[in-house]
Amino acid sequence: MVSVTSALKLADLQGNILRGYHKPFVRHLVLSVDAPTAARRWLADATSGDASKAPQITNAEPWDERPPFCVNIGITHAGLAALGVARASLNSFPHEFVAGMAARNVVIGDTGPSDPSQWHETWRRREDVHLMISVYADDANDRLAIADRILGARGAFRLRAALDGEAFKGDLVHFGYRDSIAQPQFYGVHDPDDRRDDQPFVEVGAMLLGHATPIEGLRWQVPQPNVLGLNGSFNAFRVLEQQVEEFEDFLTACADKLMKDPLGEQLLPPGDEAQWEPPMTRLAALREMVAAKMLGRWRNGVPLALSPTSPSPTPPIGNAGLNNYGYSTDPDGQRCPIGSHMRRSNPRDARTVQRNTNHTRRLVRRGMPYGPHYDPAHPVKAERGLLGSFMCASLTGQFEAIQYDWTNLGLQDPRITGANDPILGNNDPRFSRFSFPVGDNVVTFRGFSSFVHTKGGAYFFQPSMSAIRHLASL
Amino acid sequence: MVKFFSKIWMMLRHLFERILIAFWRRVAPVKTPQPGYSTTLADNLQMHMNLVMPLADQTPVGRARAAAAIAANIDELFTGLSNVGTVHFARFDLIGGNLCMYSVFDGDFRAYIRDFICAFGSVFDSLLGLVADPPPSPSAQNPEAFIDWIHRHDSFQIPRDLTSLFPEEKNINNLSRDLVLLLDENPNVQLGRFSGYPGVSVAQIRHNSGLGW
Repeated sequence: MVSVTSALKLADLQGNILRGYHKPFVRHLVLSVDAPTAARRWLADATSGDASKAPQITNAEPWDERPPFCVNIGITHAGLAALGVARASLNSFPHEFVAGMAARNVVIGDTGPSDPSQWHETWRRREDVHLMISVYADDANDRLAIADRILGARGAFRLRAALDGEAFKGDLVHFGYRDSIAQPQFYGVHDPDDRRDDQPFVEVGAMLLGHATPIEGLRWQVPQPNVLGLNGSFNAFRVLEQQVEEFEDFLTACADKLMKDPLGEQLLPPGDEAQWEPPMTRLAALREMVAAKMLGRWRNGVPLALSPTSPSPTPPIGNAGLNNYGYSTDPDGQRCPIGSHMRRSNPRDARTVQRNTNHTRRLVRRGMPYGPHYDPAHPVKAERGLLGSFMCASLTGQFEAIQYDWTNLGLQDPRITGANDPILGNNDPRFSRFSFPVGDNVVTFRGFSSFVHTKGGAYFFQPSMSAIRHLASL
Repeated sequence: MVKFFSKIWMMLRHLFERILIAFWRRVAPVKTPQPGYSTTLADNLQMHMNLVMPLADQTPVGRARAAAAIAANIDELFTGLSNVGTVHFARFDLIGGNLCMYSVFDGDFRAYIRDFICAFGSVFDSLLGLVADPPPSPSAQNPEAFIDWIHRHDSFQIPRDLTSLFPEEKNINNLSRDLVLLLDENPNVQLGRFSGYPGVSVAQIRHNSGLGW
């Protein structure tokens, strides 16, 4: 929660960048601009302060009382053009945003089953994706009512898709992991006396254009005019289908292998699983151990860095402690594998090949599951996954760099170079491998496919409130 | 006399070629392909950057000034390259009136240049004062413009399969024309590269050699 104001004008920022709303329901309206004048009028109405004209876009000012719903918008490069932004201004945006997510597919690992040709039709027709208006609500009916009000805006927009997400109990996602634990904290925004972990506070320039970034002396280019670019942010929005059944089958296959391998006993001494809370069979415990090694946390959120052998350590780790760890005391990945999803995506204080990059590629992640919950007792075939927003000030310097260098190339540590992220990576069973040390030995699993398939997405610019008013005035 | 006519013939031929190229450019323009990305590991390691920067002063005095500037900053440059962490080799050359930096690095070009700005951008900025058309300075305040400038001065790299340069070209007889237009657009070109140990990063070599990384 934003608790400290500063020179940063929080009323000028869209509210979903520096804080999460923690609403259980979201509806993302993917829209094209049908009538530019009407669309600009809607933008003016949505920032007028008069909720009778249109649902108001939520800014980042602290709340006295939590609102029942929040609304935010993102605009693609094609959307900016559709709203009437001048050519010179359009050209001042970074090249990867201009190109769009689908055109950057190889950089971010969207090939094979994630290739843009396999995406849902809405996202394949990328020239028609102009805006995404996201409605976050406490109540599912509110979400629909607000979305309907937006769609009724005098012919301004044409609906291309309505994507609904719903939080699962306990912040779980489809793979069964607890999510929404770690987010960056920002200088001048969050209270330094209320630190959630030992990671350095991050300069707001990591998220907002026109401010100092975590890279000393470096500032990202502000699209012009300043009123349009300043305090804006980018959102790599992704529809990530999760292959839950395949993932669970893989855990079983790995656990089976460990049951027959002496390394399995070294990894989890027989009988230890009976001390877990709740106690488990040995096979089930080994499945959980593999799941934890792949992510870097147990499925209940307890990090391996703090509890490498049990998901229920004594004394228990409370919510406040779940993010308070580093990797510098675990240089070889004995506790948390170097190749695990979390350690790859944010190596924290671990040694990295690219010595200037620790803490410089932080993303704000906002995600909500979509599709029916997977029940292994009654498995239902259906598309399910995550509607994920990955926000940053530089798509190429943060989001794409993580996807390219770390998720899929493993460039940050020579011991994982050539192996992809076991959960999010673009894995091909002919080459895939996931390894982690057990004492002086190494356990390696091979031959697994991608467990996450991209089904759509786009790069959106999240303009400041001033920028939205500027767009309305074009 | 033969020499004279031969010279006139060559001049006429060059003039004809220029006219033909100008005509081709108008009727069948060829766009310089952007560097491709690949999902193959070996294609993402040991990348080449061949930076060719025309000097503002290409006289012996100007070239001497460039040589002296590199010599004065060589320690900072090498320390910076070491800190980037992904550089296999780098060298600085004077070739004709050009200050050149050739390097072999792992990963994405733009990420490399960004790390390069962080590690020794300020030193590099001071060298760019000697260059004919320098990018906006300082690089740290203009990272995207700096990266684009470096990209424009990086020699175009011809892949092993020449035809892959022109995937849209249906007529094989036009490939020679396309290549001429491409080279007209890109005077500096890398024609091929060889690696004795493909698919290995510099950190892997250092790690496996016990050098630390």
